Amino acid sequence: MGNKVKDEQVSTVRSIVGLEYSTMDIIRALHMANDDVTAAINILFDSTPSSKTKDKPATRNASSSRNPNSKETVSRAVDSISSNGTPNPGSGVRSVDNSTEPTRGLSSSPIGSEWWLVGCGEVSGLSTCKGRRLKPGDEVGFNFPLKSAPAAPSPGKFGGRGRQVAACSEIVRFSTKDCGEIGRIPNEWARCLLPLVRDNKVRIEGCCKSAPIVLSIMDSIVLSVSVYINSSMFRKNHQTSLKAVTNSTDETVVHPLPTLFHLLALTPYKKAEFTPADLYTRKRPLNSKDSSDGHTALLHVNKFKNQSANGNEVENEESISDADLENIVGVVDSSELEEMESPSTLQCELRSYQKQALYWMIHLEKGHCTDEAATTLHPCWEAYRLADKRGLVVYLNAFSGDATMEFPSTLQMARGGILADAMGLGKTIMTIALLLAHSERGGSLESPSTSGTFIENSNTNGISDQSPTFPSKETKFSGFDDLVKQKNSLIGGGNLIICPMTLLGQWKAEIETHAQPGSLSVYIHYGQSRPKDAKILAQNDVVLTTYGVLASEFSTENAEDNGGLYSVRWFRLVLDEAHTIKSSKSQSSMAAAAITADRRWCLTGTPIQNNLEDIYSLLRFLKVEPWGNWAWFFLIVVQKRVFCRWNKLVQKPFEEGDERGLKLVQSILRPIMPILVLPPADVKVVYCELTEAEKDFYEALFKRSKVKFDQFVEQGRVLHNYASILELLLRLRQCCDHPFLVMSRGDTQEFSDLNKLAKRFLKGGRDLVEGEAKDVPSRAYIQEVVEELRKGEEGECPICLEAFEDAVLTPCAHRLCRECLLASWRTATSGLCPVCRKTISRQDLVTVPTENRFQIDIEKNWVESTKVAALLRELENVRSSGSKSIVFSQWTAFLDLLQIPLSRTVISIILRSNIPFVRLDGTLNLQQREKVIKQFSEESNILVLLMSLKAGGVGINLTAASNAFVLDPWWNPAVEEQAVMRIHRIGQTKEVMIKRFIVKGTVEERMEAVQARKQRMISGALTDQEVRTARIEELKMLFT
Amino acid sequence: MANSNLPRRIIKETQRLLSEPAPGISASPSEENMRYFNVMILGPSQSPYEGGVFKLELFLPEEYPMAAPKVRFLTKIYHPNIDKLGRICLDILKDKWSPALQIRTVLLSIQALLSAPNPDDPLSENIAKHWKTNETEAVETAKEWTRLYASGA
Repeated sequence: MGNKVKDEQVSTVRSIVGLEYSTMDIIRALHMANDDVTAAINILFDSTPSSKTKDKPATRNASSSRNPNSKETVSRAVDSISSNGTPNPGSGVRSVDNSTEPTRGLSSSPIGSEWWLVGCGEVSGLSTCKGRRLKPGDEVGFNFPLKSAPAAPSPGKFGGRGRQVAACSEIVRFSTKDCGEIGRIPNEWARCLLPLVRDNKVRIEGCCKSAPIVLSIMDSIVLSVSVYINSSMFRKNHQTSLKAVTNSTDETVVHPLPTLFHLLALTPYKKAEFTPADLYTRKRPLNSKDSSDGHTALLHVNKFKNQSANGNEVENEESISDADLENIVGVVDSSELEEMESPSTLQCELRSYQKQALYWMIHLEKGHCTDEAATTLHPCWEAYRLADKRGLVVYLNAFSGDATMEFPSTLQMARGGILADAMGLGKTIMTIALLLAHSERGGSLESPSTSGTFIENSNTNGISDQSPTFPSKETKFSGFDDLVKQKNSLIGGGNLIICPMTLLGQWKAEIETHAQPGSLSVYIHYGQSRPKDAKILAQNDVVLTTYGVLASEFSTENAEDNGGLYSVRWFRLVLDEAHTIKSSKSQSSMAAAAITADRRWCLTGTPIQNNLEDIYSLLRFLKVEPWGNWAWFFLIVVQKRVFCRWNKLVQKPFEEGDERGLKLVQSILRPIMPILVLPPADVKVVYCELTEAEKDFYEALFKRSKVKFDQFVEQGRVLHNYASILELLLRLRQCCDHPFLVMSRGDTQEFSDLNKLAKRFLKGGRDLVEGEAKDVPSRAYIQEVVEELRKGEEGECPICLEAFEDAVLTPCAHRLCRECLLASWRTATSGLCPVCRKTISRQDLVTVPTENRFQIDIEKNWVESTKVAALLRELENVRSSGSKSIVFSQWTAFLDLLQIPLSRTVISIILRSNIPFVRLDGTLNLQQREKVIKQFSEESNILVLLMSLKAGGVGINLTAASNAFVLDPWWNPAVEEQAVMRIHRIGQTKEVMIKRFIVKGTVEERMEAVQARKQRMISGALTDQEVRTARIEELKMLFT
Repeated sequence: MANSNLPRRIIKETQRLLSEPAPGISASPSEENMRYFNVMILGPSQSPYEGGVFKLELFLPEEYPMAAPKVRFLTKIYHPNIDKLGRICLDILKDKWSPALQIRTVLLSIQALLSAPNPDDPLSENIAKHWKTNETEAVETAKEWTRLYASGA
């Protein structure tokens, strides 16, 4: 036997047998076959590829045992093929045939109407036989190996060859009735056909197109094949299973159906705008859509409409309207967008862009195809026309491999969307206009088909495709399914608007002022005594409620199934400040999603506050997740009252490590991010410089804080001590506002009453044992101290020689600054009284009571901090114009401080009279808030509203003011913006000025940098891990 | 210089020492180092040191007021609690220091120590012995020393 085996021969054999066989096996087989390629192939096919099977040694043995009489074996093997020319030829592969019966049907079983012809193509197969004949036109059948081959030893006489089936599990062979196996089809065909045929989704028919008259091994046989696809896979929820089943963890996974389409030389008549390949090469031009594409699509839709009009599938009807919706959203240029006249019952004039928005909203809700409609395909989907005579169209997702018959549109199920106008553009007004333009009762829809399919779809498509990252959803949505089932028993209701508590009154007021009296009945569903009767709720055109009420009724709803918001089928559900539900696991988020409504809207200026999950919750609420893990939604980006564009945004709730999904989200989020950083009218930062004294104070505080922080860093426990670090930062930030704030401690107010304090000291004397009694200060001394305190006498700390800061009283009735005292001790818990050397412990210290929350008399010792002085200057500047201002701070204590200079008349170089103000903070209840807002809006002499940032964060309309002063930066710029935008919104007639105060060289300045980072983080769509490390980095930044 | 970040307390103390000096005591900070004080204490009347002007140096350490100031007589003095290097044996300058004490109180204490020498807690063994065995003689020596070394000239 010649030892030289030519590479050529090896590669020839490999091209037939495939990659399963190791080179060693091939060489061995060639040896055995005396370098006869044909014989070697037969040997290989009769053996098992050693690289794949577990029983490799056995194979070795088998082949080596064959070795001595190899020729005989070979000839027998070849024989078995050439002689057994029966319909079921003697190859192990064929033993599978029973299990893949449908594909073997060929001409014998006529193609049913459920099978749609995808297309025809040519396949050039390779002959695996010798001497057989094949005429052009001969029908061939295809044999597909079993999926789980090892578990399927074929029954009957070929049972012993089950293992070999496994060996060739990827090989698809074809045969004729007369001759048996002829050859095999190329691997790329086999790979995509296999999974599809196995799941009975696709079938293939073929006949010989051309072949040599007499076949020999390796001859190429051209087959013409027709591929059919089972229509059921489009009706049932089979989309996900269409994804590649094999090695799906592989990055280079190939989705079988798109590949098959490609092999069939089917070209999409509408290409995906965005494919996986594009991800790395280009950014999707969001605002430049090819208008010609639109025309093609338009043609398509009309055609589709005609076809489906003939057909009897209701779903097709649906898809048209959705195509229309898609189209409307797809329009990019605002000039192309129609305006809708404001409803006659609306008592204010809508602006041009609001009319456009109204048009858009109405159409998103309606789902009616209009003649002028042009449509664009979702950018991730491709449209293919099937070769079937019925002229069917199939859509393939270029990313997921999903396929569908329905036009891919986000609003497949959702009637509604996200109105993500920048703040101040009148989302409320637009919503009211929408309410007036079109309001009915839930369930009594203008087109019965839409509502029917809506429910159906939400059951079949939307709900079943749960993303694994949100497991909590699963349970809640089964609840939703139940609700769907009960839908008929629900009472048809009007519009439900859910908003934060602070906005209830405002919504009511806005509806009452803007809607013609009598056109809309409004009812506030709020408070303990709210009725449970669904009929009352349903009677009103508009029901206003809060997220809190919703969540509480949601939690009780499951227990007792009667009454409340959940027994009404709402015509329209509007979430105001929809970012409230951004946390998808929160009760209110799930509660909002579970409400039954025909139309759903989210109003929010900031659809993304922190991360992508924020959007996810909105999408779930809107029921926008038709296919697989994909979800689409729409954002309106409006900038400076110029209607720019509607952007389409694709989001894949990217599973861990799915690079492509992440990249996609990143690349798509970036261009639309400007909505989060919309510059308001006139934002300026006022940089302040601390005075020397303030600087000393700040530096001291900073040094101390940094020591503590550095300790945490050293111990690697930064994130464990997050709260303490934030506390440190809080002090520093407060110090920037006014050093007094740092002295305001939330310490015990137990002894705020001086009499109580005196009693404690005197009682303390009695409690002490005799021997120590002499250490107890005399009654007279205590009375003197208490009297001093009562009079508010200043005194100075014996250690720092300054006025007391956060004074404490020792049991020996000595007053010292808390910090000074503690610093004088060697241990943290106890030490000597510096004055009398009596041993005292920390818990014996009593905070010296003061009238207010400050440890010093702030009225008497009032000092303007740099920031306060800067604010007063600004207020004085705008005072002459008579324009009103809102002053924001995060700390009500600072608002307390600000009240002092505002209520004073100062006579210095310039005379400054007091500035009348009102105040709004979290301590006010709903009525009080309304009163304050009314007072501020209506009384012309009140120039300033002091407002805590948190309290004013949401919804409140404060357009009476045209200046906003943000005194301290907040971690999340979005929150800050929210608050400030209360004045920069519709109804504002004056120029808006917003000034933010930042103290230079302090933690505030570095917070600005962190804010900027945060913006980058949002726009960069960082991963969780990146965010985590970023957090520590941020903290380090702050302590530099 | 070290003067640039002088604690407010030291500044305040210095101001007060200068504006309302304690009787018989003067303390003024050095121009180079504000923590270094040139001190002069007049010998208290009815004491062996009467009529003498005693120079001392006082230094406020970095930890002041959490640590006691360092004080030393520059003028030679015959006193059982003060050694020949001028070091002073006084509890408040050692373990009995309290941050509630000040430069002024320290100097007043030293002044008081001149009035009431305490040979039972001596720093200078010889002088203490002398004081105990023959107080009159010791007092005479003290007066002599005052005349010799602290007469102001």
